[in-house]
Amino acid sequence: MTPIISAKNLAKSYGEPPNQTTALNDLSLTIKKGEFTAIIGPSGSGKSTLMHILGCLDKQDQGQYLFEGKDVSSLSENDLAKIRNQKIGFVFQFFNLLPRTSSLKNVQMPLLYAGIDKKKRGEQAIAQLTAVGLADKLNSTPAQLSGGQQQRVAIARALVNNPLVIFADEPTGNLDTKSSSEIMEIFKKLNDRGHTIVMITHERDIASHTSRIITIRDGRIIQDEKNVKTKRTISKLDV
Amino acid sequence: MEFFETVNSAIEALRINKLRSALTSLGIIIGVASVILLVSLGTGLQNYITSEFEKLGSNVLFVIPGRIGFGGRGPGGATVNKLSLDHVKKIERKIDNLVGVVPTVQQFTTVKYQNKVQKDVTIVGTTELFAEIANLPAVKGKFFDKSQIDSGKKVAVIGQTIVDKVFGTKDPIGEKIDIKGQKYQVIGVLAAQGSTLGVDQDNNVIIPFTTAQRQFGTNQVNNIYAKAQTQANVEETAEKMTKVLLEDLSEDDFSVLTAKQTLSTIQGILGVISATLAGIAAISLLVGGIGISNIMLVSVTERTHEIGLRKAVGARPTDILLQFLIEAIILSVLGGIIGLTLASAGALVASRFVPAQVTPWSVVIAFGFSILVGIIFGVAPAIRASRLEPIVALRHE
Repeated sequence: MTPIISAKNLAKSYGEPPNQTTALNDLSLTIKKGEFTAIIGPSGSGKSTLMHILGCLDKQDQGQYLFEGKDVSSLSENDLAKIRNQKIGFVFQFFNLLPRTSSLKNVQMPLLYAGIDKKKRGEQAIAQLTAVGLADKLNSTPAQLSGGQQQRVAIARALVNNPLVIFADEPTGNLDTKSSSEIMEIFKKLNDRGHTIVMITHERDIASHTSRIITIRDGRIIQDEKNVKTKRTISKLDV
Repeated sequence: MEFFETVNSAIEALRINKLRSALTSLGIIIGVASVILLVSLGTGLQNYITSEFEKLGSNVLFVIPGRIGFGGRGPGGATVNKLSLDHVKKIERKIDNLVGVVPTVQQFTTVKYQNKVQKDVTIVGTTELFAEIANLPAVKGKFFDKSQIDSGKKVAVIGQTIVDKVFGTKDPIGEKIDIKGQKYQVIGVLAAQGSTLGVDQDNNVIIPFTTAQRQFGTNQVNNIYAKAQTQANVEETAEKMTKVLLEDLSEDDFSVLTAKQTLSTIQGILGVISATLAGIAAISLLVGGIGISNIMLVSVTERTHEIGLRKAVGARPTDILLQFLIEAIILSVLGGIIGLTLASAGALVASRFVPAQVTPWSVVIAFGFSILVGIIFGVAPAIRASRLEPIVALRHE
């Protein structure tokens, strides 16, 4: 089976010489369907850059990136938009919800660009918000929600198009401990149901919830380990 | 994304910044309103003047003293007036296809009846044919006839304003009015004409030509009115009249005008004036457009993060382009609609004082122009938004 993600010899740097900083340095990586991968590393290690390239938000300078076997660098803007829309779901550290816009509308946004009709949009958005336990917050704006609730809206948005892979960039980085474990619980449930998840974090504790931990430093993978003793917390959420 | 959804989300985005949207539209509102209002005033005035001239009849020709045009000393000046009754008689004799030709002498003076006084009355001395040529018959009593002119009778046909102001409900026929110390017997009442550009056309008294010359102490003729038999030979008649008058007078002494010619001259002037005004108003529309462009650029910068997010969840460059373009168009169309409403209301109010008429073409042009302004000035910011790299936009705070 073709891996979802297959990256070979990725390199990326920012700025002009001599002030150039290398973000990725000859990095290769393969992720298969159903994996729950954590990419950890200190800040500046290049993990965010890696996620942006893997999420088709940014392009590598060198190397090859195949998403579902397709060479991403050969795709047009519109093809990339379609992949981001249909195959990828993003969850960001700062939630990235549209301000002054209800949860329901935020979650519907990817469906809007997918050209789904109004009735179906509403149904799917409500279903996802219900799944993350926010059935009673459909009309709340981000300002009316706690951080944990906002991140759950963001997860509902990432899931609403039933993507192939979910990219989460420090999803718990802005949350308290309780909210963090709730969010991790949701991710684990999703993974149990077959979702492929790539999560970036700098906290080992958070990474310990996943099944594979990739450590990067200075733009290279220094460790890639299977996490056999995946940490389990008692679920309070029915996802 | 469906077009309808794009429009919906554009409206939502504009509602979030209500005050800013309103202020941005204001430029377009003022522009559209002033274009429509000024054009409607110009058109109203043109139509009004046309209808006034049509009342007069398009077969009519005038001879006025002085030359109109280059180097002319202006019409109607008594000091340059060389027109006399001889010229009238000559025209009558030499030009055969006329319904008639009449001289007029005019003065403004006060008319008295018993203890009532009416000021600034136009006293016109003329002949019996005037009623037909100027299309001003007596509706009560009758006009004076040729024998009354020949014998210099002190009779008068009075305008409706004189009847109302001086006689009230009393029948004026047979009564004697006082014009500069002379008593005139009222023999008829003229058909009411209303007012032209705020000037009362019924505040007049018509008396026999001979009587008037004696009363005013003049041998001159202020104007000569003639009427051609058909509209077709008006121009030809004007040429013949000019030729006849040139036998005795120089080119600088008189002008022969036709109603059509005068009308087209006035319309030409009004056309230029209203086009100039509309042009000036269009500048404000342009300024309004620049305002839209400015605000859209601010909006793109402010919402860079939103653009990044939209791209991250699957918006194509076209989706972003349309979103911002439609916002700009909505702002300008909204401004156009409000401007149109204001202009219509303004024209309605104005039409109570001056002729004003909202014309369909000015509405179409102003409205079309406002949409065009929205597109032209919205497209640059929208393109800028659509070209943002998703990751660069997402990082922007």
